[in-house]
This record gives sequence, C-alpha cells and structure tokens, in this order.
Amino acid sequence: MTASVPASAPATTPQVARPTNRIVASPLARRIAASKGVDLASIKGTGPHGRIVKRDVEAAESKASASLPSHAQAAAPVSGGGSRSVPHTTMRKVIARRLSESKATIPHFYVSMDVELDALIALRAQLNALSSDEGQDSFKLSVNDMLIKAAALALKQVPEVNASFTEDAMILHDDADISVAVSLDDGLITPIVRAAERKSLKQISQEAKSLVSRARAGKLKPEEFQGGTFSISNMGMFGVKEFAAIVNPPQAAILAIAAGKRQPVVSGDEIRIATVMTVTLSVDHRAVDGATAAKWLSAFRSIVQSPLALVL
Amino acid sequence: MSKQLSSGVAHLLKKAKVPVFNGYGKLDGTQANGRRKVLVSQDGAAPTTLTAQHVILATGARARVLPGLEPDGKLIWSYKEALVPEDMPKRLVVIGSGAIGTEFASFYRNMGADVTLVEVAQRILPVEDEEISQLARKAFEKQGIRILTGAQVGTLQKTATEVHIPVTLGDKTETLVADRVISAVGIVGNVENIGLEGTKIQVDRTHVVTDSLCRTGEPGVYAIGDLAGAPWLAHKASHEAVMCVEAIAGKTVHPIDPTKVPGCTYCRPQIASVGYTEAKAKEAGYKVRVGRFPLIANGKALAMGEPDGLIKTVFDAQTGELLGAHMIGAEVTEMIQGYVIARTGELTEAELAETIFPHPTISESMHEAVLAAYDGALHF
Ligand SMILES: Cc1cc2nc3c(=O)[nH]c(=O)nc-3n(C[C@H](O)[C@H](O)[C@H](O)COP(=O)(O)OP(=O)(O)OC[C@H]3O[C@@H](n4cnc5c(N)ncnc54)[C@H](O)[C@@H]3O)c2cc1C
Repeated sequence: MTASVPASAPATTPQVARPTNRIVASPLARRIAASKGVDLASIKGTGPHGRIVKRDVEAAESKASASLPSHAQAAAPVSGGGSRSVPHTTMRKVIARRLSESKATIPHFYVSMDVELDALIALRAQLNALSSDEGQDSFKLSVNDMLIKAAALALKQVPEVNASFTEDAMILHDDADISVAVSLDDGLITPIVRAAERKSLKQISQEAKSLVSRARAGKLKPEEFQGGTFSISNMGMFGVKEFAAIVNPPQAAILAIAAGKRQPVVSGDEIRIATVMTVTLSVDHRAVDGATAAKWLSAFRSIVQSPLALVL
Repeated sequence: MSKQLSSGVAHLLKKAKVPVFNGYGKLDGTQANGRRKVLVSQDGAAPTTLTAQHVILATGARARVLPGLEPDGKLIWSYKEALVPEDMPKRLVVIGSGAIGTEFASFYRNMGADVTLVEVAQRILPVEDEEISQLARKAFEKQGIRILTGAQVGTLQKTATEVHIPVTLGDKTETLVADRVISAVGIVGNVENIGLEGTKIQVDRTHVVTDSLCRTGEPGVYAIGDLAGAPWLAHKASHEAVMCVEAIAGKTVHPIDPTKVPGCTYCRPQIASVGYTEAKAKEAGYKVRVGRFPLIANGKALAMGEPDGLIKTVFDAQTGELLGAHMIGAEVTEMIQGYVIARTGELTEAELAETIFPHPTISESMHEAVLAAYDGALHF
C-alpha cells in the first residue's frame, strides 16, 4: 500500500502556515483598523489573552489623531491679528465629510478638452427667439441648460461613464440623471435633472430654473438632490479658465465647465476666432478608464459643436 | 425545585469552605489597621463583628412602592406574593409592563385569569425594541389579555374582596375592578441601614454608585448586583460577583458592558434581546442596517405550532458590528446567547453569515435575520 503512494503525496496534504508572530484580533477590530488605517501590529490588545478588540483600535486611533495638530489648530493664524471660530453648519459638515471621503477613497484622474461654443450660442439665440414673451410657454434657455442635455446625450453614446463602481459589480444606469452643482451662500447643493436625455431643452430649462431657485430657498426635497448618475459643475460665470472637480460618489464622473472665451483657433492652416471653453472630466478610475473618458469628452464636444442633436 | 437549588448553593459554599453567618449585616467603620468592620446581628442577640480587607455589598433590591399602590400582601401584591399565590385570582390587574409585570400577566392569563395589563408608557415592555413591543402586544391581546398603555393609575380603593383601580387614559377615566392587583412598577436598591451614612459611598436614586470594577467611593468596599447599576438581572449580578472577586485577587478582568448583557422575558411568546434597539442605535449616531426574519417562514417554528415571532438584527452599517438583536417567539430565550457570543467575540456580519446553523431548528432564523440585513434572507 505505502509503496504505491506517489512520492509527492505528502505535499498535497493541506499545510497551513502558522506565522510565529500572529496578530490576535477580533474580526470587528480588524475591520475597523483596516478602514481607519490603523496598524494592528502597533497595538497592544486588552481582550482575553491580549486579543486586540474594538476598544483597543479606537483608543489607538484617537491617540493618533490627538497627536496630530487638529485642523482648527493648524488653521489658526500665527500673526497677532486675531481670529474667530465659526461653528459648522450641517451643510458644511456634509460637504467636508463627503468630499474627504471621495478624495480619500476614489482614485481620481482628469481629462481636459477645449470645446467651441459658437454654434451652440447661435442655436440658443434662435431658440430663445421662438419663446413667447411671457406666460406658461415662455422660456429662456441658458448655455448651461444646453450643456446639461449635451452631457446626457454623450452619456447615452458612451454609457460606461453613466456608472457606479461597487465592490462586487459595476452598476450601469439607464437614465442620465444629471446633478447640477448650485452654489449657495453657505455651500453648495446638487439638484438633479432626471432622465435629461429624454427631456426637451425647454423642459430642462424650466426644471433647472425651478430647482435652482428652490435650492437657494432651501426648499428642495431629499429626492431632488439625492441620487443622480453624473454631475456638472459650471463656473463659467466666474470667468474661470479651467478647473477640476471632485467626483460626487457613487457617481463615476463629474464635468467641470470653465468660461467660454473668444480666442484664436488654428484650423487647418488658418487662424480664426472662436468662443472656446475648457472642460475637465474628473473620473473614478475604478469605474472608467482613460480611453473611455476621452471618448466621452469627444462625444460631448461633437454634440456641443454640432448642436442640432440637442433639439431632436 | 427552588429548595433543591438553594440547598445546592449552600452545599457549594460548604465545599469551598466559605463560612456563612446568618444575620443582618451592616458596615461599621474601620479598625486601626485599616480593616473594615461588619456587624452581623440576628434575633436581637449581641452582634458579631467580622473584619475584612475587602467587603462586597450585595443587598439586592426590593419592589418599588408607589403612593396609592401600596401592596398589602392580600389584595394588592408585589412580586413576592405573586410568586406564591394562595389561590388563583379570577380578575387580575397588573400595573407596570416591564419584564416582571409582563411575565406575571402572561403567566396568570395562561392559568385562566382575566388579565388587564396597565402601562404608563406608550407601549408595553418599553425598554425592548419598538417592533418587539408591538408584536408582544398583538400576541397578548390575541390570548385575551387587555392592554392599556399611556395609562395613569390613581389611588386604589379596596373593599373586603375587591380592588377598584381608577385608570386615566387621555381625557377618559375608567375604573377597573379586580380580585387582585400586582404592582410591578420597578425596584429600589436596599441601601438603607447598611452603614453607608457618613462614608464616601455614593447613592444615586437608591443604587450604589460604582466604577466599572464594582468599586465604591470607599476603598475596599464594593457593590454588585441589583444594589449597583443596571441591568437588574441575576446573570449580571453573578458575573459581577466573579469579576469583582477576581479583580480583588489581582487577576486581569474585563468590565461588564451592559450592551453585551442579554435580557429575557419569560412570557409566552418569549422575548429576548441584547444590545442596542434600532432606535437607540440611531440615537447613538450609528448608521444601521436592520435584518428581520419572521418565524412564520421557519419550518421548525411552524411544526411546533408557534409561527408567531420575529428575529431582528441591528448592524452598524459602517463596521458590520452586531449592535443588537431582538427576538420574540418560541425558544428565543434559549437562543439569544448565539448573538451574545457574536457581540462579545466582536464577530461581524461576515462571520455570522458564514456560520452554519443546524437544520431544522428555529435558530436558522437567526442566520436568516443576519442575511436579511445584508443581501437578503434565503427563505423569505
Ligand atoms: C419576579 C422577579 C423575576 C425575575 N426574573 C429574572 C429572570 O428571569 N432573570 C434574571 O436574570 N433576573 C430576574 N430577576 C432579577 C434578579 O432576581 C435579580 O437581578 C438578582 O436576584 C439580583 O441579585 P442580587 O444578588 O444583587 O440581589 P438579591 O438576589 O436580591 O439578593 C440580595 C440578598 O441580600 C439579602 N440582604 C439584603 N440586605 C441584607 C443585609 N443588610 N444583611 C444581610 N443580607 C441582606 C437579601 O435578603 C437577599 O437574600 C427577577 C426579579 C424578580 C423580582
């Protein structure tokens, strides 16, 4: 019997290596340590037989953060000019938490492109001329309304960007629900134009107007600013040359729109003047790769530069 | 049975060579060498003086007496008389729906009495998770117990054989008539006449204030059990006793975390819980994930003819910590220890989900209630 056993047999017996300096910690302690970036090897456990338990990790973490200067201290001016502390509003806390979380957990990358606006501006003037002067049917399209629709159409063309990354799977969204960043006196909020790809410019314009005014009045319902599959942040009105925004999780991308400016453009061997804006797409690299981001920006640029698709 | 159990304890004490002095004990200052004196008196004889380096106070608690509801031992009972009734009341009113009141209401209803349970809070079993309270109420009402919540009881009026109980519900007052009343409105610690006066031992609302190792403000004096902090439960008292003595003996001990002490109510259906209720978890700032599994979807519970019940889990959405578990239904008092072990051992939802529960048992529902908080239960 023994003789017939292949020589390699013992090696197939499962052997579990037992490291000598094994860290003994509860599953909960391990998980909290991993999420807070606490090194278990540096902690002394106070549980049964020196097991590291939740309270040990929490104690280590609060010790670590206590030994760092707090942000408030770091921000205090060293000059003798004095300073005052303004307590945070709930909105400020939410902004701080969500954006830190985004920057800390999402691997961002950024892709920029120049987009000419003249055709879109001309179309806008034509369309606005069709509006009745006042009443229910009147409308006044803004460039931003048209860019919301352009982004939504581009998401239809490159649906990989209309996505959310989760540990187990990529969630691909059917509708392009566009979160539009609106600045407020004490922060910002992102009301959502839902299924913007299916709405007319007039609808988008009226909806966006109502959302923005209710956002400024603090009257949005939660479902009007929670959710959304893609964000737009437009700082054109501030004359910004270009900027990059922070991804709004669980969305995969946000488009930062800078001011359109008349400038010389080289086309073929000619120099002509065009209204150009720089847009920057910030992307969650876990969800979207560089080539896809570039493809999306090209689609967006084509739509903006040949804007008739917006009124189809 | 209880005689057998207490003589068993006496035997264990003898075996461990623990001398027992029967009598009324009282702290009596310190000796010159710093040892504490305890006077033990019995039947008016001259007290015996014992001295010790360490003294553990464990005088327990007694039923709280509210003015107008004073137990008389005949028509108006405290738990003492209710535990050893001479005859079965036909009409019983139980005042207070904590664990004790609820147990008596359920027991006497099972014995055939007409029972009304009166509670001043808006729901019965006010410390349990709200959903459990609701299900308990439904089950009791189905059994014919009348339940009045948000109810204020006025001064009881007695005749020779009956008690009249004025109950105010909102703007209506109704007078209940009963053969017996059980007053179960809480407990108070036995802090009087045990020599606490003039010491550094602090008393807060009839209970001795202690630190996490049962130490009082007076060095060498400890307090455990119902005399000390909540929860007022036998297993907490006994765990504290072990911990306190081990700490005195210089061993490494771990303080009791009240959120890891299970609480059981032995009514029908049974109720058992540990840790945070959903509401308390939210109040404490946790973002929670809640799992529910109704026993009607469990084969064993169905086969036993006890399909009414619910297992509910509350997890910290951020860390997967099992913050609390709440159960109502058959055998839940036997099963809660599973969640207590999970909580004490700091298991997360991942280990619980990977645990294989035996089939066919009611305990499978505990597994399902974990899955339900995350990816969804398999059988519901
Ligand atoms: C009706 C009822 C049902 C309950 N059901 C449960 C249950 O199902 N599960 C559970 O866990 N808990 C239950 N409890 C609670 C449980 O009984 C108590 O938590 C537990 O008994 C507390 O233990 P202890 O040692 O602190 O106090 P006790 O058990 O009250 O013991 C104190 C002892 O000290 C004696 N004593 C008092 N003063 C002195 C003195 N000066 N000198 C000497 N001796 C003194 C008392 O006579 C008493 O024997 C129930 C309580 C009641 C009333």
